[in-house]
Amino acid sequence: MSDAESHAFDADMRRANRKKAVEGRSVIFKIKRCDGPGKPSRWESFKVPVEQGGNVISSLKWIAANPITTEGTKTTPVVWDSGCLEEVCGACTMVINGRVRQSCSCLIDEYAPLEGDAITLEPMSKFPVIRDLWVDRARLFHNLTRVKAWVPIDGTYNMGAGPKETPEHQQMRYALSECMSCGCCLDACPQFTKVEDEEKWDTSFIGAHAISQARLFNEHGTGKLLKGDRYEELAGAGGVSDCGNAQNCVKVCPKGIPLTESIGAVGRGTTVHAIKQFFQGKE
Amino acid sequence: MADEKRVIVVGGGLAGLAASVRIAEAGVPVDLFSMVPVKRSHSVCAQGGINACNEVARQQGYSEYQHFDETLIGGDFLNDQHPVLEMANWAPKIIDLLDRMGVPFNRSSEGFRDLRLFGGSLFKRTHFAGATTGQQLLYALDEQTRRFASEGKVNMMEFWEFLYPITEGEGEDKRCVGIVAQDMRTMQIRSFRADAVVMATGGCGLVFGKSTNSIICTGGAASRCYQAGAWYGNPEMIQVHPTAIPGADKCRLMSESARGEGGRVWVPRKKGDTRKPTDIPENERYYILEERYPKYGNLVPRDIATREIFDVCVNEGMGINGGNQVYLDLTHKDPEYLTRKLGGILDIYEKFVGDDPRYTPMRIFPAVHYSMGGLWTTYTPGDYQPEQPGTEHKPGNPIPIDAQPGHGLTIGAHNNAMTNITGLYAFGEVNFAYHGATRLGANALLSCIFDGLCNGVSVVNYVREGVDTPASELDQSIFDQAQQAEQAKHDKLMASVNTGKGDQSLNPYQIGQEMGEVMNAASTVVKTGPGLEKCLAKLDELRERFSRVELGDGAMWTNQSLSYARSVGDMLILAEAIAKAGLLREESRGSHYRTDFPERDDERFWKTSVAKFNEETGKSDIEFIEVKAGLVKLRPRNYGKVDSGTNKEKIPPKQVAQANA
Amino acid sequence: MQKHHFLLRRLHSLTGIVPVGVFLIMHLTTNSTIAWGGLNSRAHGDGWIDRSIATFQHEVEFINNMPLLLLIEITLWASIGFHSILGVVYAMSGRPNNADYKYGGNARYTLQRLTGYFGIFFIFYHVATLRWGWDWLPGAAKWSHEHAASTLAHALQGSTEQFTTTGLFVSIFYFIGVSALVFHFANGLWTAAITWGLTISRKAQQRWGFACAGLGAVLMIMAWVSVVGFATLDYEQARGVEEAMKLDSLPIDSGSHTETAAVEQTDIDG
Ligand SMILES: Cc1cc2nc3c(=O)[nH]c(=O)nc-3n(C[C@H](O)[C@H](O)[C@H](O)COP(=O)(O)OP(=O)(O)OC[C@H]3O[C@@H](n4cnc5c(N)ncnc54)[C@H](O)[C@@H]3O)c2cc1C
Ligand code: SF4
Ligand code: SF4
Ligand code: FES
Repeated sequence: MSDAESHAFDADMRRANRKKAVEGRSVIFKIKRCDGPGKPSRWESFKVPVEQGGNVISSLKWIAANPITTEGTKTTPVVWDSGCLEEVCGACTMVINGRVRQSCSCLIDEYAPLEGDAITLEPMSKFPVIRDLWVDRARLFHNLTRVKAWVPIDGTYNMGAGPKETPEHQQMRYALSECMSCGCCLDACPQFTKVEDEEKWDTSFIGAHAISQARLFNEHGTGKLLKGDRYEELAGAGGVSDCGNAQNCVKVCPKGIPLTESIGAVGRGTTVHAIKQFFQGKE
Repeated sequence: MADEKRVIVVGGGLAGLAASVRIAEAGVPVDLFSMVPVKRSHSVCAQGGINACNEVARQQGYSEYQHFDETLIGGDFLNDQHPVLEMANWAPKIIDLLDRMGVPFNRSSEGFRDLRLFGGSLFKRTHFAGATTGQQLLYALDEQTRRFASEGKVNMMEFWEFLYPITEGEGEDKRCVGIVAQDMRTMQIRSFRADAVVMATGGCGLVFGKSTNSIICTGGAASRCYQAGAWYGNPEMIQVHPTAIPGADKCRLMSESARGEGGRVWVPRKKGDTRKPTDIPENERYYILEERYPKYGNLVPRDIATREIFDVCVNEGMGINGGNQVYLDLTHKDPEYLTRKLGGILDIYEKFVGDDPRYTPMRIFPAVHYSMGGLWTTYTPGDYQPEQPGTEHKPGNPIPIDAQPGHGLTIGAHNNAMTNITGLYAFGEVNFAYHGATRLGANALLSCIFDGLCNGVSVVNYVREGVDTPASELDQSIFDQAQQAEQAKHDKLMASVNTGKGDQSLNPYQIGQEMGEVMNAASTVVKTGPGLEKCLAKLDELRERFSRVELGDGAMWTNQSLSYARSVGDMLILAEAIAKAGLLREESRGSHYRTDFPERDDERFWKTSVAKFNEETGKSDIEFIEVKAGLVKLRPRNYGKVDSGTNKEKIPPKQVAQANA
Repeated sequence: MQKHHFLLRRLHSLTGIVPVGVFLIMHLTTNSTIAWGGLNSRAHGDGWIDRSIATFQHEVEFINNMPLLLLIEITLWASIGFHSILGVVYAMSGRPNNADYKYGGNARYTLQRLTGYFGIFFIFYHVATLRWGWDWLPGAAKWSHEHAASTLAHALQGSTEQFTTTGLFVSIFYFIGVSALVFHFANGLWTAAITWGLTISRKAQQRWGFACAGLGAVLMIMAWVSVVGFATLDYEQARGVEEAMKLDSLPIDSGSHTETAAVEQTDIDG
C-alpha cells in the first residue's frame, strides 16, 4: 500500500467510525501514569462522558476537573502537554492505542465510537517522561541546532528583499517548513532510540525531523551557505546514514512532510559533499 | 564585560522573539522566559497573513499612509496614532526582513511575493505563506533565536512561568529590576535580575472560556503586571472573530483569508430550510454581508461581520436549522486553487468536522479571538506633527508624509512601548496601543514584529543609557522579598489541596468554566448595562469562591493544576477590568457594542479607558484619558453599509475590489 | 569509528552490492544451472538432467580455474566479514516496533535485520561444511569440486542413498537461507538508492522499488530451483555424469594448456 493509500485507508476507517458513533455514551480512558523521573509507572482508568466533537484533550480536561478512577478512588489530575488544539503547535503528542499522534486532533468518535470502548494513552516512548503524559523533548530542539537549522542573515536591519523564488520551489519549501517539531516521526522510528544522557545526543541518530529541516535550509538562497556544515554533521555519527529506511516517519507525520524524500535528498547531498571533499583534499 | 546589564523578555511569541533577536544582536544579553518551547507559542496559530504596503498596491494608489489610515478607521479611532503610523511605514521593510530569514511567502508565477485581500481594505496588501502564516513567521524568528542561543547571546528559559515583576522605588520612580518565575517542572521559585523587562505574553482569550486562542493564553502574566501597578488600556476591547468552528474544547478559527480568497457568507433565505446547502439554489441564498455592505462585501472589518452574523442568527432566527451557525462557502472555487492558498485551514476543518470544505460549505459562528486592550504603554512621537489632522485618505490623494522611519515615533526613545513602570515594556498582543476598538485582520502579526524590532532598540538604549544603577548592583533583599512573597502565595495555594471528595464549586476548573460562560455571554458581541452589572456580580461571587479554592493535586513536581488555579485567580481580576470598563463606556465603538448605547459618542468617549488596580479594594478603577491623536481627524465609520436588517429588498452583490484582483 | 563514520557506512552499503551482491547473483546463476542447464545442448550427456549436471559441473570447474582465485576469494571473505560485522553493529542500534506500526516499510526494515543475522549464520554453515569441510557439523558432506552436483545432492539429502530427516532439515535450512539472502540483497539495493541519494522523490523510490522487487523475484526463483534441484537430484546419476566428464577431460589435461575455453567446450562435447 502506498503512503497516500494507507492514509486514505485510515481516514476511511475513522470516518466510518464517526458515522456509527453513539450519542451520549461514555468511554474508558486507560492512562499510563508516572509521578516523575525515576518513579514507577502505573495504569489508571477513567470513565468519561463524550461531548459532541470531543477529543482526547477535552476528555483530559474533563478528567482534570473530575479526577476519579473507574474504581471510584480519587486521584490527581493527569498532567499533559498541549497548546494550540488545532494541530499546528506540536505540543500534544502522545501514544494513543499504541501509535504516536497528536492528541488534540484525535476525535473520540473516530477511536471509540461505542459505549464503553477504550482508548489508551501513554507518553511518547523516546523521550524522558517529566510527569504522566508530559515528556521532555529538549533533544528534538537540540537536533535543530546540530544541523544549524537557520538562515545566516547578516542582521535584522533593513537590507532589501530576500532571494526570488519560483512558486514551485516555494511550495516545496513550504511543505517542509510546516514541520511543527512534534516528534511523531522520531517516536515511530525504529532507529531513533531514547537517549537520556545529553552527552550522547550529538552522536545518536538525529532522526527524520532534523534531516528534513536541514534540507529546508539547504534549499534557501542564503540558507545554502551553511550547507557544508550541515552535511558534515549529517555525515557523522548519528547522521543521515544511520537511517534504516523503515519509512515509519513519513507514515505517522501529522503534517504529511515528505520525510523520505528529504532523507534521499540529504543522502545525495552528503554523498556529493564527501566526494568533493575527497577530491579537494579538505579536512 | 563592562555592561553586565541584561534584559529579560517574557514570552516567546512573535513579539518576544523579535525583541530577543534585536536586543541580543545589539550586544545586550537576553534571558528569554516562556511557559512553552517558544516554537509552540500561540503565534503559531495565526493563519491569514501580514499586512504591508507593496509595490503592486502602491502603483494603484495605495501607500503606507493609507495602511495607517485604514488601521485607524478599522480601530474606530481608539488607536494611539503615532505608533500606528510608524508601524505602517516599517511594514514593507519587515516583510523584506522576514523574506531574508527564509519565510516561504507564496509566490506569483514570476517569483515575486503573492498578495491577498483582507478585511478593511480594497487593496491587496496581505502577504502570506499558505494558510499558516503565523507558524511560518514564528519559525523564522525561532530559528534566528536558536542561532543566537547557540552563540550564547540568548539564554533560553523554557517551561518557566513568569509570576511577578520585581520593582524598586515608588510612584513615578518605580522601576522594574527583574522578575520572579517558577520552573514548571521542579516547581522551584526564583528571582531573576534584569535592567529591563519586556512583557510579550500575548492575549487573554481564556478569560472567555472557549476562544480561538491556545490554552496558554490566560492573560495571567499581564494581570500580574497589572496587579503590580502597571495600567491596563482599553480592556473592554475584545475582538470576536466572525468565522470559527464551534468545538468541545476550543473554537477553531477559519481565517479571514477564506473570505479574502472569495469565501461567501450566507444563510438560506427561508427560515429553517432543511435542504443540504448544495441543493439550495443561488436565488434562495441570503448573502448577508454582500447584501448589507455592497462595497466591502464579505471583507468588512471583523466586528461588523460578527455583529451581522450574530444578528441574523440570534435576532432573526435565520441561522442554519434555526441554530447559531451560518455557511462560509468556498465551493465555487477551484479545489486545486483552494488547496494551494488555504490548504492549512481547510485541513483543520476537515480534520475536526469531517466534511471537505472544497465541496461542502463550512458551518461557522463567531468566537472570541483577540484582545485589542492590553498593558498601557507610552512613547515619544516622531517628527510628523501636522498643524491640522488629516482627513480621510483616498487612493490618489497626495500623501501627507513619506514612509521614512521616525515620522511616527522617535526611534530609540527610551519610553517607546514602555508601561507606566519604568523599565517594564509591553510588546505584541499584550500592548494596547495599535488596534483601537477593532484590529484589522493581518495587522497583529505586524504589530508584534514591529514592537520587537523597532521598540527593541528603545530597550537597548534605555538599558545602556537610562539605567544608572544596574540591577546587578542592587541589594539582594529586594529580590529575596519578591521571591518570598510569591513563595507565600504558592504555599497558600498548596495548602488548599483537598484530596477528599471536596466541594465541586471550589474546584478551579469549575470556577474557570463559569467565568468563561458569564464573560462570553455578557461581554462579547452584544453588551448591555444590566448584563454587565450581572456579570460583575457573578465575578464577585467567583472571586469569593476562589478565595476558598481547593486544589486537586498536592504534588511538588510538575503541578499543572496549581499553575492553572493561579491563573484563574489572575484572570478573574482581568475579567473584572474588562467588564467594568465595558459597563462604563456608554457608547458603541468598534468591537464594543452596547444595545443601550448603540451610537458612537465621541464627545464623552473618544477616550482610552485605563484600568488601574486598586490594592485596597482589590478591584479596578477605570479612568478615561485622551486618545493620543492629532494626525488624522475623526470621521464616522460605516464601510458603506446600506439599509440593514432585513433581506426583503435584494441588492445585487457587487464584485469587491475587482480593480486589483 | 567516529571520524570515519560516513565512510564506513557507505562502504558497508557498497560492499553489500559489490562484491557480495554481485557474487550472489553469479553464485545463484551457477547453481541454478542444475535446473536449466539442460538448455545447453552441447553439454555432456543425453537427457535434460544429465546435461544440467554437466553444465553445472562445467561452471564449477570454470570458477575453480579462474586466475587469481585466491585473491577473489579473499576479497569476498573480507567483504562479507566487513558487511556482517558492521551490519550487526548497525542493526543492534535499532529498536524494531512492528507490533505497533504495521506498515510494509517497517516490516521490511525488521526483516532486513533478521535476514542479515540469519544470513550470516547460513553463510557460515554453508562455507564451513562445503568449503572447509567441517564434517562434524550436522548434515555436512565433504566437498569435492570434481563432484559438485553429487556432493550437493548428498548434503541436501542427508546421505548418498536416500533422503533422510537430516536432509530434510538441511534442505529447509538452505531454502530459508537463500531466500533470506535474496531478500536482504534486493531490499538492500532498494534502500541503498535512498541512502546514496539516487532516488529522492516518492515516485522514483517507488519505481526503483519495483525494479528491485523484479530482480528479487528472479533471484528468488533461481535460488529456489537450485535448492529444489539439488534436493531432488539422483546422487548416482550425478556421480555418473561427473565421472564420465572426468574421463573425457583427461586427454585435454595432458594436452596443451593454451587452448581457449571455447575450444575446451567443443572438446567436452566431443
Ligand atoms: C487562530 C488565530 C489566527 C490568527 N491569525 C492572524 C493573522 O492571520 N494575522 C494576524 O496579523 N494576526 C493573527 N492572529 C493574532 C496573532 O496571532 C496574535 O495576536 C499574535 O500571535 C500574538 O503574538 P505575541 O507574540 O504577542 O504573543 P503569543 O504568540 O501569544 O506568545 C505569548 C508568549 O508568552 C509566553 N507566556 C505567556 N504567559 C507567560 C508566563 N506567565 N510566563 C512565561 N511566559 C509566558 C508564552 O509561552 C508565549 O511564548 C491570529 C490569532 C489567532 C488566535
Ligand atoms: S516531520 Fe512531521 S512528525 Fe516529524 S516533527 Fe515534523 S511534523 Fe512532527
Ligand atoms: S526512514 Fe529512517 S528516519 Fe524514517 S522511520 Fe525509518 S529509520 Fe527512521
Ligand atoms: S495542541 Fe498543538 S498540536 Fe495538538
